Amino acid sequence: MSRYPTYKMFGEHTILLNWREKIDLDIHDQVFLYARFISENFPDEIVETAIAYQSLVVYLKTGINAQLFIDTLIGRKIDVSELVTKKKQLITIPVCYDPEFGPDIQKIASTHNQTISEVIERHTTPNYKVYFLGFLPGFAYLGGLDQQLYTPRRSMPRPFIEKGSVGIGGTQTGIYPIDSPGGWNIIGRTPLHLFDATKDPPSMINAGDFIKFQAINRSEFDLLQIEIKAGTFRWRKEMHHD
Amino acid sequence: MIKIIVSGLHSSLQDLGRFGHRDCGVPVSGAMDLRSAANANALVGNDPNATVLEFMASGPVLEFNEAAVIGISGAMFSPKIDGKNIGMNTSVGIKEGSTLSFGSPSKGLRAYLAIKGGFSASIMLGSSSYYKGVTEEGRLRKNDTLYIDQSGDKPSKTSRTVVKTVLRFDSNEIEVFKGPEFDSLPRSIQNKLKNASFTIDAQSNRMAYWLEHSEDISAKDIITAPVQPGTVQITPVGKVIVLMRDAQTTGGYARIFQLSKSAIDLLAQKRAGEKVSFKMIDPLFHTHT
Repeated sequence: MSRYPTYKMFGEHTILLNWREKIDLDIHDQVFLYARFISENFPDEIVETAIAYQSLVVYLKTGINAQLFIDTLIGRKIDVSELVTKKKQLITIPVCYDPEFGPDIQKIASTHNQTISEVIERHTTPNYKVYFLGFLPGFAYLGGLDQQLYTPRRSMPRPFIEKGSVGIGGTQTGIYPIDSPGGWNIIGRTPLHLFDATKDPPSMINAGDFIKFQAINRSEFDLLQIEIKAGTFRWRKEMHHD
Repeated sequence: MIKIIVSGLHSSLQDLGRFGHRDCGVPVSGAMDLRSAANANALVGNDPNATVLEFMASGPVLEFNEAAVIGISGAMFSPKIDGKNIGMNTSVGIKEGSTLSFGSPSKGLRAYLAIKGGFSASIMLGSSSYYKGVTEEGRLRKNDTLYIDQSGDKPSKTSRTVVKTVLRFDSNEIEVFKGPEFDSLPRSIQNKLKNASFTIDAQSNRMAYWLEHSEDISAKDIITAPVQPGTVQITPVGKVIVLMRDAQTTGGYARIFQLSKSAIDLLAQKRAGEKVSFKMIDPLFHTHT
């Protein structure tokens, strides 16, 4: 039953597909495949689609009646099981957990009665699922944070968090892709540029991907920055096996 | 070349918006009042998506180092060339060496300066609209220089144009459709939302309008889900937020209403302290496109 969505209008030219209210890998796979199906099959009707954990939004062109389009989609009896699932990639994100870049890592360690090394170990172990991007350009909502790292957001958000900063907010971990204010606990920084508006697509990680953090020291961070600047840096991407 | 002598309160370059990248979390942006921006472009024979200068509350002062044909539409500013009043909603020639100023609006909040040919601007992800992080800057500053777009074939309309329907922004009724979470609210809260009077808060900006009220209303958070310009959110402590053009693409607050396209344009002309209320309309009988 979780396989089929309900359809709703969301303004004049937007429709929303909702699945069960749950953050769940299987539901998300359905959302992802529906988005692909609709994007591929209705290029004349839609502007774009975007997904979240258990919902899919379809932005329609002006002049396309949302209610009629819902009827079309329902009539189409979408079956995504025929879609060949694209191979999922696992992208490695090097992170320097030096307190210079991670001002809150000591606090997180103390909160959970762990050493900084244990925090790093727990943070670099999972393969995190990229559910979708939102909040900021290129900001990935990741699933898979170790429960023993769950930490409430800071009561006072910082007015400025440098791009590349890696944080923990509640049950989530993530990377700030651009400079931004923010309330997450900052534990490290990646030298990689995750969002680049001069590229299309602008985000280096996308919904459906998996990522893994890899601890690097300060001199490795500096070296990577030089490689990125020189254009010799190569992203580490491999196939992800469920 | 056009030089910014005074930047104004918040001036930026905008077009109709940045589409096709919301799946990467890129906001739509674009002119807050799309209809007035399109009107300004129409005055000088531009494509509706040509880049315009958006300004608000306290307008910029611009020094023209080349001759141009301009059109201004939107909030009722008092534009002047070298201190002499010129009209809004009409095309006007401006000579090299002249200074254009706008003062403050007697009604409305935002207006648009279009220039024949359009402003030249870097196109990032298919749009010239300023949004810091996607474009280099989020706003125009003193001493910035702007150029007229000389590329491509330009429409050669030279006859004097006027906007036929001048918008007056009189209505305080904001037309809305039901949002995705509206039906799950208790009837009592639905009624309060439909009848309440809201006051626009001073912290409202291109990202969101904050509406003050004295109603006892709230809604529980949702699993983070898509939002769009014009989405009205209500937080667990009862804050009412209307997302505007620079809004993020996903959010975790209940989405109670969705503004009609023309309602977003209207709200963009409302100032802090003004009162508005929501008027629910049925999408099936709403034929405006």
